[in-house]
Amino acid sequence: MKISLNWIKDYLDLKGISTKEIVNKLTMSGLEVEDVFDQNETYKGFVVGFVDEKEKHPNADRLSVCKVNDGKEFFQVICGAPNVEQGQKVVFAPIGTIIPKGNFEIKKAKIRGVESNGMICAEDELELSDDHSGIMVLDSKFKAGTSLTKALKLDDVILEIAITPNRPDALSHIGVARDLAAIFNRKLSIPKVKLKESKSNIKSAASIEIIDAENCPRYSGKVVKNVNIKESPEWLKNRISSIGLRSRNNVVDITNFVMYECGQPLHAFDLEMLGGHKIVVQSTKQESVFTTLDSKERKLPAGSLMICDDEKPVAIAGVMGGENSEITNDTKNILIESAYFNPSSIRKTAKILGLSTDASYRFERGTDPANTVYAAERTAQLISELAGGEILSGTLDVYPNKIKEKKIKLRFNRIEKILGYKISNTKIKSILKKLGIKIISELKDAVTVTIPTYRPDIEREIDLIEEIARIAGYDNVPTVSRINVTLEVKHDETSFSNDIREYSNALGLSEMINNPLQPEAFSKLTGIPIKITNPQNLDMEFLRTSLLPGALNIVSKNIKKGEKDLALFETGNVFNLGSEKSNISTFNDFKEEEKLIFVLTGEKNGREWYGGVSVYDIYDLKGIVNSFLNKISLDYFTNDSYYSSDNSLYEYYFTKKYKNVVVGQGGKVSSNVLNKFDINQEVFCFELDINILKSINAKKKEYVEPLKYPKVFRDFSFIFDTKIRFEEVKNFILQNSSNLLKDITIFDIFESNDLGLNKKSMAFQLEYYDENRTLTEDEVEKDFLNLIKLVSKKFNAQLRGK
Amino acid sequence: MLLEKTEEVKKNFLNDLDSVNDNESIENIRIKYLGRNGIVSGLFDKLKEIPKEQKPEAGKSLNLLRNELTSKLEELKSSFGKGKKEGGIELDLSLPGRKYHIGSKHILTQTLDEIKSIFRGMGFSVYTGPELESDYYNFEALNFPPDHPARDMQDTFFISDDFLLRTHTSPVQIRTMEKMPPPVRTIMPGRVYRNEAVSARSYCMFHQVEGLYVDEDVTFAELKGTLVSFARQFYGEDLKYRFRPSFFPFTEPSAEMDITCFICKGSGCKVCKQSGWLEILGCGMVDPNVFNYVNYDPEKYTGYAFGMGIERIAMLKYGITDIRVFFENDFRFLKQF
Repeated sequence: MKISLNWIKDYLDLKGISTKEIVNKLTMSGLEVEDVFDQNETYKGFVVGFVDEKEKHPNADRLSVCKVNDGKEFFQVICGAPNVEQGQKVVFAPIGTIIPKGNFEIKKAKIRGVESNGMICAEDELELSDDHSGIMVLDSKFKAGTSLTKALKLDDVILEIAITPNRPDALSHIGVARDLAAIFNRKLSIPKVKLKESKSNIKSAASIEIIDAENCPRYSGKVVKNVNIKESPEWLKNRISSIGLRSRNNVVDITNFVMYECGQPLHAFDLEMLGGHKIVVQSTKQESVFTTLDSKERKLPAGSLMICDDEKPVAIAGVMGGENSEITNDTKNILIESAYFNPSSIRKTAKILGLSTDASYRFERGTDPANTVYAAERTAQLISELAGGEILSGTLDVYPNKIKEKKIKLRFNRIEKILGYKISNTKIKSILKKLGIKIISELKDAVTVTIPTYRPDIEREIDLIEEIARIAGYDNVPTVSRINVTLEVKHDETSFSNDIREYSNALGLSEMINNPLQPEAFSKLTGIPIKITNPQNLDMEFLRTSLLPGALNIVSKNIKKGEKDLALFETGNVFNLGSEKSNISTFNDFKEEEKLIFVLTGEKNGREWYGGVSVYDIYDLKGIVNSFLNKISLDYFTNDSYYSSDNSLYEYYFTKKYKNVVVGQGGKVSSNVLNKFDINQEVFCFELDINILKSINAKKKEYVEPLKYPKVFRDFSFIFDTKIRFEEVKNFILQNSSNLLKDITIFDIFESNDLGLNKKSMAFQLEYYDENRTLTEDEVEKDFLNLIKLVSKKFNAQLRGK
Repeated sequence: MLLEKTEEVKKNFLNDLDSVNDNESIENIRIKYLGRNGIVSGLFDKLKEIPKEQKPEAGKSLNLLRNELTSKLEELKSSFGKGKKEGGIELDLSLPGRKYHIGSKHILTQTLDEIKSIFRGMGFSVYTGPELESDYYNFEALNFPPDHPARDMQDTFFISDDFLLRTHTSPVQIRTMEKMPPPVRTIMPGRVYRNEAVSARSYCMFHQVEGLYVDEDVTFAELKGTLVSFARQFYGEDLKYRFRPSFFPFTEPSAEMDITCFICKGSGCKVCKQSGWLEILGCGMVDPNVFNYVNYDPEKYTGYAFGMGIERIAMLKYGITDIRVFFENDFRFLKQF
């Protein structure tokens, strides 16, 4: 919210306090100043200039060459505005000044061959308005050379303050002034209302009835007759524009002014447009349509709080007035509305309408129910002063159930228990007083106080403690230099994911982090997706059901940037509905699971001097998956299944199972899927279920004494039919060998015409040893020769070589 | 006589060397000339036969010969041994080494790891919770009443009437306190979602680390001390800081912590919006209403909580100006860290 310091000074003497100090103290007491716009700084150097001569630019039709006098000298200035004329008083920016819009410095320049020494400014360039139709022409009464700040009284400082939702009291100049008064210990003076009322009584002119008293606890009104709607005077226009609003007419400007002065939103009805000169506050019984004063039709659900006359709605309570009763240039008689609405009712309506106004913003945070009459009278007073007219005597004020000030007990030792340091009782009481909080009774160790109604956020003792801490200053809370370490058992629920990342890194994979919000096409590929009810766009409408689509999306993007060789991994949560139809109303209706994906594509190494190019393939993927599972000690617990035919995602793939539950699946991504991501190179992915892996009790690591006796190795190679798989041979050998054979590795495999049609050669190394003794050549040889015989026979294989 | 013989041997040796092309042939030459029964040994044997007065000179020349042949062979051998294999190449140490790849953790993970290790060192556990969360955990139990404007502070992605994508990691506070009685001292990292327009400064998804400590006699002063210690370990020991009052429904008093902008050192720059300060986290004392939701006695226990955005911290620390680069996963970006 914008706060003008000049305006604040109407209620508070800030003499001797610098802007910097004000900004700092406001920020440090909870009203964070986000930006400072000091007009004296901003308009430094700008002066009133006199256009002494104007000629056409010799080389450009639309430009003029002007001679501008700054009271001392003449400057040649090129100007592009259509409205520049000889004899005008203008805003002149000499060389060296900085133009607020765009923040650029004026330098000596040559424009189309003609020298220019400064600039004649338009309003938008000065950020005084958004007008760029031409240069700003000043009143001829100003003397050339007068500083712009002096001429236009641009000596204000505007603060942009971020007001947190708990501080509706600070959404006005008096509200901020109240905090400043407490901080700087100065006196706050709220303008007194002096009304010159006519003899006729308001009761004969208008009436108010509240039907929904729960949502409208108070409604006050004032009537002013025979007003003259016109432009606002300069001072009011200045106030209105200083906080970034546009001046409309005197009455609208006054209602805005009073709202920004004291925080009470106001609305002015054209009394003659109110049927029966009556206000009825009630909630709608059914859905309805209503045209607001911005000429838009709004659909309202049943139960919306409306301001009505005796036949029709005339305003959406607390949000926006209606077109049918708004002030026009012909309006003569005005009813001023000043009400207190139930915050959550206003918020509901504003939310549903998607319409947040200055009024709804304040009502939904909580205005001061005690302030309605003051604000109505203050408005009436200003209207009669600035728009003429007679204020009818008396105030309409319907207030069925008075909202009382809250009473709270505050224990002094509780303050110390929360803050960790002692604030003296005297200081506590003085802070309370400065904030308008009244002490109604006092004990040795506690006080009981009443809270002013403009502070709806203060409801409990802890709220008071915060107030005291904030005004005393958080800086005064000591920063301890030692802490107690509690000795409960410490857990790290992220340790498994940490390990996963370490091992994946060690395997050469780099981590990516993807947005789980995806288009439907991605999420549908891999599961039953969950929809966001209010997505930003269709590209982020669903939650991911697997890490695969997101990964492929990243592969695709990288390839387009020329990064074609990728080794990536990601861990993260995926989300699936329990069944197609289920609507989420409990945690059992969906599954959120942590997954891990490995992604390989392109070349392992590019062209290098030491070897040919090799591309990632299924065996790289398998190796990485196996090494990974070995590292987390789960390789013994899982077994593989291989599928060489298509499934919807993979051309061929393998799975890892634990007790018949699939814990991971992956392989070569099918070209169908790759096409969807516009990828035309092979991609290999494997996705593991971290939740299941975590649940498996990994084998406890135990020391195994390194082998003391030598191993004996034997090699053989056979020619097989190509359809014979390595694993079949391996298992057969293991089953038929002596128990001295401990391992079999395949060290060569090839197919060649020399071997015959549909034949391949596989070469194996057999590893023999015994933990307790040295083997003899004979026993190994015996087993080896036996295996040759058996393998040859079983697989109809032919022993090669020796 | 012997001298002439040495010259002849040397000549033959050099001739033989010409035909050398691998380590094996070097070894053969070594055996032929320098072996136990080699030519040079034979010459030494002949020393016995020459006159006594000629012996020293002859011996000296034989020694010279032996050394010369030995060093020639060594020289040759080393040139083969270190690079040149069969069909190999001449040793060239300027060739690039073979490539080995170590993957890297995402910079956000690295940043989080650093934060975690600091808090682990101060006795914090690490807990996690779900991203698809109920309204109860995300808002209600954290003292956000329904229809309260405080809910507007966090634009929410909704899944259904009662479920949403968590807007902060604070629901894990509730989940953790439900699980155990005090003392609870834990941090809770995780992913959160906000329905905010994607731009260089904000993204619809990001990461937070939440912190919570509840026990008897936990104070605001201890909160300050703990967070200042964290900031000094993470950002540097000479840092200046300030705590500003703020508002979060689940803490009271609430604060935001600023540190001096480490880019301009506090003099004001674009990054700190000319203020000289950078906001790094929000914090406060756990609101008694929150304790009521998890059945902790607010009279007996007090506690503090804090939360910080990891992207923001990583952006500040590494000079990243566009939050979107974290999630574009450009391989060149991933490998930078």
